[in-house]
Amino acid sequence: MNRFLTKDFLSGLMFVAFGLAALYFGQHLAVGTPVRMGPGYVPRMLSLILLALGVVVCIVALVSGSEPVERPKWKPITLVTLGIVCFALLFERAGLIPALIVLVMISSLAGEEFKLTEVIGNIVVLSILCTIVFKVGLGMNISVVQGIW
Amino acid sequence: MDLLDNLVLGIGVAFTFQNLTYALLGCMVGTLIGVLPGIGPVATIAMLLPITFHLPPTASLIMLAGIYYGAQYGGSTTSILVNLPGEASSVVTCLDGYQMARRGRAGAALSISAVGSFFAGTIGTIIIVIFAEPLTRMAQKFGPADYCSLMALGLVAAVVLASGSITKAIAMVFLGLLFGLIGTDVNTGAQRFTFDIPELSDGIDFAPIAMGLFGIAEIVVNLERHLERGGAIKVGSLWPTREEIRRSIPAILRGTMLGSLLGVLPGGGPTLGAFSAYTLEKKLSKNPGEFGKGAVEGVASPEAANNAAAQTSFIPMLTLGIPSNAVMALMVGAMIIQGIQPGPEVMTKKPDLFWGMIVSMWIGNAMLVIINLPMIGMWVKLLTVPYRYLAPAILLFCCIGAYSLQNSTFHVMQVAIFGVLGYVFVKLGCEGAPFLLGLVLGPQMEEYFRRAMLLSRGDAMVFIERPISLGLLITTALLLILMALPSIKKAREEAFQEEG
Repeated sequence: MNRFLTKDFLSGLMFVAFGLAALYFGQHLAVGTPVRMGPGYVPRMLSLILLALGVVVCIVALVSGSEPVERPKWKPITLVTLGIVCFALLFERAGLIPALIVLVMISSLAGEEFKLTEVIGNIVVLSILCTIVFKVGLGMNISVVQGIW
Repeated sequence: MDLLDNLVLGIGVAFTFQNLTYALLGCMVGTLIGVLPGIGPVATIAMLLPITFHLPPTASLIMLAGIYYGAQYGGSTTSILVNLPGEASSVVTCLDGYQMARRGRAGAALSISAVGSFFAGTIGTIIIVIFAEPLTRMAQKFGPADYCSLMALGLVAAVVLASGSITKAIAMVFLGLLFGLIGTDVNTGAQRFTFDIPELSDGIDFAPIAMGLFGIAEIVVNLERHLERGGAIKVGSLWPTREEIRRSIPAILRGTMLGSLLGVLPGGGPTLGAFSAYTLEKKLSKNPGEFGKGAVEGVASPEAANNAAAQTSFIPMLTLGIPSNAVMALMVGAMIIQGIQPGPEVMTKKPDLFWGMIVSMWIGNAMLVIINLPMIGMWVKLLTVPYRYLAPAILLFCCIGAYSLQNSTFHVMQVAIFGVLGYVFVKLGCEGAPFLLGLVLGPQMEEYFRRAMLLSRGDAMVFIERPISLGLLITTALLLILMALPSIKKAREEAFQEEG
């Protein structure tokens, strides 16, 4: 099993997967001829090359070995992604400040230390800063708190 | 003389109040992110790209350029004072800079690196001025086939010089090229890989992608590693001794030369310049044993080299429209946002922008010496800000920046998606830079490829029949073959091991 859980083998697989996906989702595009290329000509060419490179990377990884993949820590990546998604969902519906509070709260949980007072301080400073820079300074068309400002 | 006319034009543009302000702003931001570990110029420029919508073209490019070379100055400060490289390009400065600091010579190390950087920046700027025109004139003779081959060479060279595994890096380039195709096909109007999402029909925006790949992924990795900070060291006197000056002058000259040369190469840039300069100094030194124990040459030369390379890496971007590293790819993006197609036309059609930007780089370098030396205390204080405050702030600025691209939360979601993808890339040891280069060059390269093939009536031989194109392709092939040779392959792997 360890032979397959290496950086190179898995990246080869990733390239193969992307190549196949591009072929699949691009199959309806007309390829055309070399003189009159259709919209699908270059995508088809690129996906096939990517596919081939992926296979080469996989084979080389199996034959000559490669570094094992570090075990990922799920907490930071999950919380950071979740924070950004929440920000995206809240930003237009609730406004800058609520979205900011949720993002900073969630992403602060991703670190090793979490002190509520510090996080609240961070939120206050960032709220003031962002309001001044983006709303007042750059005059961006955003609402600070939806329905109020 | 043309050259003088151009410089006068540039000085006129750069010395307006507005452009001076943006140069200063860029340098300040650059120094700031250079000092702060955990955020680099790529992520910062990506974050600020949307804001440049609101600025005039010249001002925005001046500011972004300032961030890039400002980061080279700021990065050395942290390397010397706390043994933490703020930027990849100042990793080698840690080796001897921190040792000098421990012997109480921190001030001297800082001022030598600042003055060396300034000198190198000046020379780098002069080199741009001298080479910009001939290169541009040459580029104007290029046909579509030649351009296509030139881009191929640029991409391959970038991969060969800048990353670990070549096959993986080339695959990353192709992946980037594929992502670059997303959107409406210009020739036929067909929707490609848009999945019926209206936001994608204009093509994929690379600012959110760069933020995800270089900003978010980096934050996550730093959070995993639990970034530690050392205590700051006293700066001491800024004046170097006579002996230190005598030893650093030739080192600065050598570093400047090597850095300028390596900066022009595709895939080159500050990091490569600094590493090579350090190796060169060690080889040339009469007592190599001193290196790693506080040799002043080990600070002076790499610092000069990284700054010279930061300047000269603008040359291929400004004259040919071909970015040589990830930061330059974003500069191309910034130009496109402003409606300027990068390439040889920039100099002839927008001389004020072109020369104004070049002169402002020199002004920026002068500003940086002032920002960095007398204000050193302020930057040292910033070092004590813990990462747990910074990470959420960087995330927040990425999100707001992505939103303001087109006032749509779709782009914020894109940041999240590419953050995850970037994390996967890091875990699998795949480089983000080749991906970004492919992404930026993809649409243009397809255009040139299709035009060349149409002109030659579908005959792929056109790439070999045109002498310029043939020459470029042969160079590309030679590079690839060279790298596959066992002896070079081994030496190259060792070199990258040292870096890591």
